[in-house]
Amino acid sequence: MANAKKFWVPIVFIVLAIFPPFFLSQYWLHVMIISLFYVMMASSWNLIAGFTGQVSFAHAAFSGIGAYVSGMLAVYLGFSPWLGVLIGMGAAALLGLGLGYLCIRMGGIYLSLTTLGFSEILRIIITNEDRWTRGTMGLQVPGFFTEYSKVSYYYLFLIVAILVLAVIYRIIHSEMGLTFRAVLNDELAASSSGINTIRVRILAFTISGAIAGLAGGLYGHYLMLITPDIPSLGQMFLVLAMAVIGGMGSFVGPIVGSFVLEILSEYIRIYGEVHVLLFGLVALAVARFAPEGLMGIIGKRWRREWSY
Amino acid sequence: MVVLIEGRGVTKSFGGLRAVKGVDFHLGEGEVVGLIGPNGAGKTTLFNLVSGVFHPDSGTLSFGSRDITLLKPFEICRLGIARTFQIVRPFLKMSCFENALVGIIGRNDKNGGKEKRRDEARALLKFVGLGDREQTPAKDLTLIEKKRLEMARALATRPRVLLLDEVLAGLNPSEILQALELIEVIRTKLKITIFWIEHVMGAIMKASDRIIVLDQGEKIKEGKSEEIVSDPRVIEAYLGESDA
Repeated sequence: MANAKKFWVPIVFIVLAIFPPFFLSQYWLHVMIISLFYVMMASSWNLIAGFTGQVSFAHAAFSGIGAYVSGMLAVYLGFSPWLGVLIGMGAAALLGLGLGYLCIRMGGIYLSLTTLGFSEILRIIITNEDRWTRGTMGLQVPGFFTEYSKVSYYYLFLIVAILVLAVIYRIIHSEMGLTFRAVLNDELAASSSGINTIRVRILAFTISGAIAGLAGGLYGHYLMLITPDIPSLGQMFLVLAMAVIGGMGSFVGPIVGSFVLEILSEYIRIYGEVHVLLFGLVALAVARFAPEGLMGIIGKRWRREWSY
Repeated sequence: MVVLIEGRGVTKSFGGLRAVKGVDFHLGEGEVVGLIGPNGAGKTTLFNLVSGVFHPDSGTLSFGSRDITLLKPFEICRLGIARTFQIVRPFLKMSCFENALVGIIGRNDKNGGKEKRRDEARALLKFVGLGDREQTPAKDLTLIEKKRLEMARALATRPRVLLLDEVLAGLNPSEILQALELIEVIRTKLKITIFWIEHVMGAIMKASDRIIVLDQGEKIKEGKSEEIVSDPRVIEAYLGESDA
């Protein structure tokens, strides 16, 4: 029974996801595309933070690497964005590998600060560099399709997001995912049980970095203008809030969190500066009343079947 | 008797404190060796050195013909030395089944399918008496159950030597008997060499082939239980110097 349900629920959601372009306005379709970008970001961040306990602040930086590598290849060397996105993804994976290696002896706040420092260095370089990245002016890049259509982008983002989620689902339910959680629970005990914890940590960094790079590349070619806002800390905290509010360490949590926060931010945007405050209040309320996130509120039985 | 683990002049300091000073010891295959000593004698530090959590400042450790002095915990575990912890450390937010499975995955032997490993995890839980607890999160277990789970996880790595750090501490008399029974089965049925730290003297004296006594980081005595209990240096270490 539980298995049949596990099989059908995603199918139903995927089928339902086919229809929005038929009735949504261009504006709301845009919101959906951005939400799908955040789904990829928050879910992959959850893989590293919620499953191995490495609270990295370099996730937005990885997406920035994906966006800039792909964008610059297209602008200066005439690469197709399709190929560029994959190279950007590889570059982000490589950087994840390096940063993961750098952080193997660190945990907790030290790892967070190191990754935060790395993220800021990258943003400052991109901002101040003028010849190649065009700094704060932003780099104009080509899109994926010769004829611009939000509907095409929606389906592109939807397909990639589904693939990314399928990969993440497979990982967290595999034996590799089990070793991730063992490291999260107790690194020393995991190591003493024969788990190569260094390999696990670097692997998590590499995989989640690759996904962030892919998401960033897609995002850049969708907006067709890449700015240092992509690898900014503001973006990082938004992704973090989505995963935390949705429910860290669960598969569904970050997905729900991404849609809820992105849609919510569209409604509270009209209050201008107050919207940051409202975001803070939501995060505070969740931290106080539902430390396991929105997914934690939803029935225990349901949670046992879905989240891990 | 084949020597499995051998330590020579093992020394480890933390800052100015020399926790373990030039300890020589060995474990023979199939032996049950007890490690005793007053609090702060360096027993757990010695375990941490053998299992690779710390590396000695000087001295060497070997396992069979291999030098394991500088190996990492997971490498030592894969060679065949498993351990439990003084303060139990099961993976609290994971089920008992998953806890055992981690040890099996930790062996990293590629042969055998996924299903085979899962069956083995279930069998191990049954072996330590947690057969009906498969899906229970480790945090919901009682202390003795957590200790059983740690043993299952350690056994899952298919060790040749098992380091047990105060498995009996905190247990009531009937639980102590249960735990001792389990240790006896591990020793006789699974033929695993046991090196254990214990403060429950009656138990460790009775169940060990040989006892090593540490005091302030140094080995002060080694021998059979009878020799240990009557040794004046051991009595002094535990009870202090006599005035008489």
